[in-house]
Amino acid sequence: MQLFIEQLLNGVAMGSIYALITLGLALVYGILRILHIAHAAIYTVGAYVGLFLFKLSGSLIIGVAGSMVFCALLGVGIERFVYYPLLKYPPYVPLIGSIAVMLAIEELCRLVAGPQILTFQAVLPFPQFQIGGITVSSTLTAVYCITALVLLLLWYITSKTELGLAMRAVSQDIPIADAMGINSHLIVSLTFAIGSAIAAVAGSLVGIYYNQVYPTMGTVPAYKTLALIVVGGLGSVPGAVVASLLLGVAETLLIGYANIPLPRDALAFIAMIAVLMWRSEGLLGSR
Amino acid sequence: MNAYLITIATLICINAIVACGLNVIVGFAGQISLGHAAFFGIGAYSAALLATKAGLSFWAALPLVVVITALIGLLLGLPSLRVKEDFLAITTIGINFIVEAIFLYIPFFGGALGIGGIPRIMLFGVRLKGLTFFLLCLFFLLLVLAFCWWFSRSWGGLACFALREEESAAASMGISPVRFKLLAFVIGTAMAGLGGALYAHYIRFISATDFSFPVSVLLLSIVVLGGMGTLWGPVVGAVILGALPEVFRPLVDYRFLFYMLLLLLMIRYQPAGLLGEGSMVHRVFSLLLPEGKK
Amino acid sequence: MNSTLLAVKAVSKHFGGLKALDQVTFEIRPREILGLIGPNGAGKTVCFNLISGVYKPTAGEIIFNGERTQGKAPHQIARRGVGRTFQIVKPFATLSVLENVLVARGISRYNHLGKIWSSWKSRAEIRQALEVLDRVGLADLAHRKAALLPLGNLRRLEIARALIVGKRLLLLDESFSGLRHEEILQLEQLIRNIRADGITVLLIEHNMRVAMGLSNRVVVLDHGRKIAEGSPQQIQQNERVIEAYLGRKGHSHAA
Repeated sequence: MQLFIEQLLNGVAMGSIYALITLGLALVYGILRILHIAHAAIYTVGAYVGLFLFKLSGSLIIGVAGSMVFCALLGVGIERFVYYPLLKYPPYVPLIGSIAVMLAIEELCRLVAGPQILTFQAVLPFPQFQIGGITVSSTLTAVYCITALVLLLLWYITSKTELGLAMRAVSQDIPIADAMGINSHLIVSLTFAIGSAIAAVAGSLVGIYYNQVYPTMGTVPAYKTLALIVVGGLGSVPGAVVASLLLGVAETLLIGYANIPLPRDALAFIAMIAVLMWRSEGLLGSR
Repeated sequence: MNAYLITIATLICINAIVACGLNVIVGFAGQISLGHAAFFGIGAYSAALLATKAGLSFWAALPLVVVITALIGLLLGLPSLRVKEDFLAITTIGINFIVEAIFLYIPFFGGALGIGGIPRIMLFGVRLKGLTFFLLCLFFLLLVLAFCWWFSRSWGGLACFALREEESAAASMGISPVRFKLLAFVIGTAMAGLGGALYAHYIRFISATDFSFPVSVLLLSIVVLGGMGTLWGPVVGAVILGALPEVFRPLVDYRFLFYMLLLLLMIRYQPAGLLGEGSMVHRVFSLLLPEGKK
Repeated sequence: MNSTLLAVKAVSKHFGGLKALDQVTFEIRPREILGLIGPNGAGKTVCFNLISGVYKPTAGEIIFNGERTQGKAPHQIARRGVGRTFQIVKPFATLSVLENVLVARGISRYNHLGKIWSSWKSRAEIRQALEVLDRVGLADLAHRKAALLPLGNLRRLEIARALIVGKRLLLLDESFSGLRHEEILQLEQLIRNIRADGITVLLIEHNMRVAMGLSNRVVVLDHGRKIAEGSPQQIQQNERVIEAYLGRKGHSHAA
C-alpha cells in the first residue's frame, strides 16, 4: 500500500510535468490550429538558459525568470518568422517547418553546450512532508506547487482578464476578431509568449527534478505531448491537463507493476489511438 | 570516390521510390501521413526475415514483401483514415512510434541488435553491388514512376484527386471516400515495401532506428519540397535532400544544423514545393509558355 | 408505386436539442419540378442532406424508387441516380472544368475495383464531357482551372456534374443565388429542358419569382416543419406561408 501511494505520488509529479509542457502546445493549437512540435525545443532551451543563468547568478529565481523571458521571446520569434506567414498553407507545411525548427534548435543546443549531460544541482526552496510513513520530498512538493500555481495563473488569465477574452475571440475566428477591433496578431504572439514561458518553467523544473540537462531532452516530450493534446481534445487546455496527469500516473504504475514488453513511451500513442477510435473528440473536447 | 557517389545515388533512388508511395497518399489523395517510415521499415524487416529465416531469394520474396506491407497498410489505414487532417497526422506519428517499438522490443525482430547478414541480390548468377545494384534501384524507380503516371490518368487516380479537393462533393459523385483513401494508402505502402526490400538488401544490416519518426519527416519533406501531387516532385525532392548533406560535408559539425536551416528556409519561401503551383520553377515556365498563364 | 419517385415520410433530424427537421412528409412524382422553400434556417438544406445521405435521419423513412435509402452513404445514393449541387459551391479547385465533369462521369466505375484502372483521358469520354459542358454553357472554359471561375460559372459547373450523376433525380440547392438576371433566365430554360428529358428536379430556392415560375408544386418549410404544400398559386395565397415570411422579415429587421 505504501509503495502504491509513493508510486502514485511520483506518477502525479510526472503527470504535472507533462501538463506543464503540454499546456503551451494546447494553447497554441487552440488559437492557431498548428501542431507546434518545436514547443519541445523551447522547453529544452528553457532548461539550458535556466541552468546557465542559475550558475551565473547563483539565484534560482533569476535563472527561471530569465529563462521565461528568453523562451517567451524565442516562441514569439518562431511564431512571427515561421508560423504566421505559413498559416494560409495546408497544415502539413507549418508542421514540417515546426519539425525543422525543433531539430535545428536541438542541434544548436548541442553545438553551444556540448552533447554531454549537464547537471542542474539546485535546491528547490520547498518543504518536505512526512505523512504516516510516507515521505513527500521537497522536489515533489515543488513540482506540485509550481504546477498548481501555473495552472491557477493560466486559469485566471484565460477566464478573468480581457486578454483571455481576446484569446477566445481570436481562437474562434481571426477575421471576425480583427473586425471587432482586436489586434489578433498581438494576441497570437502573447499566447506564444505565455506558452513558451510555461515551457521554460517546465524545462528548468525537469532539469532539477532529474538533475539532467541535455540537447535531446525534448525529443520524447515533443511527440508524447502531441498524443496528449489529442487525448485531451485538440485545443482543450483542461483536457490536456487531465490527459497529462492520467498518463503520468498510468506510466508510473505500469512500469511499477505490470511488466509490459513495450516501452512506456509508446503507451501515450496506444492510449491516443484507443481514444481516437472510441471518442475522436478527445476526453474533454467538443466537436 | 566513384563508389561513394554510387552509394549516395542508390540511397536517393530508394528514398525516391518510398517518397513516390507517400506522394500517392499525400499528394494524390490528400491524406497526410507522418508515419510512412513505419511501412518502409515493415518492408525492410519482412525482406530481411524472409531472406535470413526462410531462406528465400530476393526475387521470390519481393512479391510477398510488397503484399505483406500493403496488407498491414490496409489494416492500419482502416482505422486511421476515419480521422482527418491534424488527427490523422498525429495518428500516423503514433503508428510510426508503435511499429518502431515493436521492432525494438520483440525478440523475433532482432531487438535492439536488428537483423544482419542479409544476402546480396543475385541476378542471372551475378551478385549485385555498386553500380549494378544502383541500376536495379533505378529500374524499380522508373517502374514506380510509370505506375504513378498511369494511376494519375486512371479513373481511380481521378477519384483520389477529387477526394483531395472536396470530399463531400466527391462522395456525391459516387466516390466512396473510405475505399479510395484506402486504395491510395495501399498503393503507397506497397511502394514503401518495395523500397524497404531494396534497402534491406543494400545495407544488409537493419535496425529499428533506420525507420524512426525523423525518417518519416524526411520522406514528407521530400514530397513537399519536390511538389505534392506532381509526378517528378518526389524524385527532385529526394535528389536535393539526399545530395545536400553531402554538399554540406565540409561544414563537419555544423552540417546537420545547416541542413535543417535550409529545409526551414525552403519550406518558408517555397511552401508549394519546387515543382508545385506558384513555385519558382512553375513561374519561370509559365513566363516561357504564355498560354500557361491564361 | 410508379406515381412516387421519392417519398420522405415523417422524417426528423435533431442536432442535440435542436430539431432541425421535425416530422416532415412529402413526395416527389416522376418528371415534376418540386420547389422546396422557406425562410432561412427552415431546414431545407438539412432536408437535402438527408435525402443525399450526408446525414442519417433521427426518425422517419426515406424511400427512393421503391427502396429505403435512409442511412445509406452519399456515394451509395449517388449511384442510384441522385445528383446534387451544394449551396456553398464545392468545385474540385485545382482540377480543370473538364476534369471536374469527368469525375462525375466515372460514377459507374467507382464501385468496381476492376474498372478504375483504365484512362479517363480517352477521346470518347472527353467528347461526352464536353457535350454536358456545352449544355450548361461552359464548353469554352473547359480547360480553365475551376478555382479561377466566378460564382455563376461555378454554379453551372455544379449543375453539369449533378446532371451526369442525376439520371433520375436532381437536387439543386439555391443554384440561382448570386446569379445575374440573364444567367437566371438561361438557367431556368436549362432546368425546363432537363425536366423535358425525363429527369425529376427538387430545388431549394430563395428567389420567389424563380421558385414559383419553375415549380409544378411547392413544399414550404418553417422552423423544421412543413407548413404548406400545393401549387404555386395555392402557396402564394396561403396565410401561414405569408405569415412565416413576413414574420421572419419583421424579425430580421429588428435584429
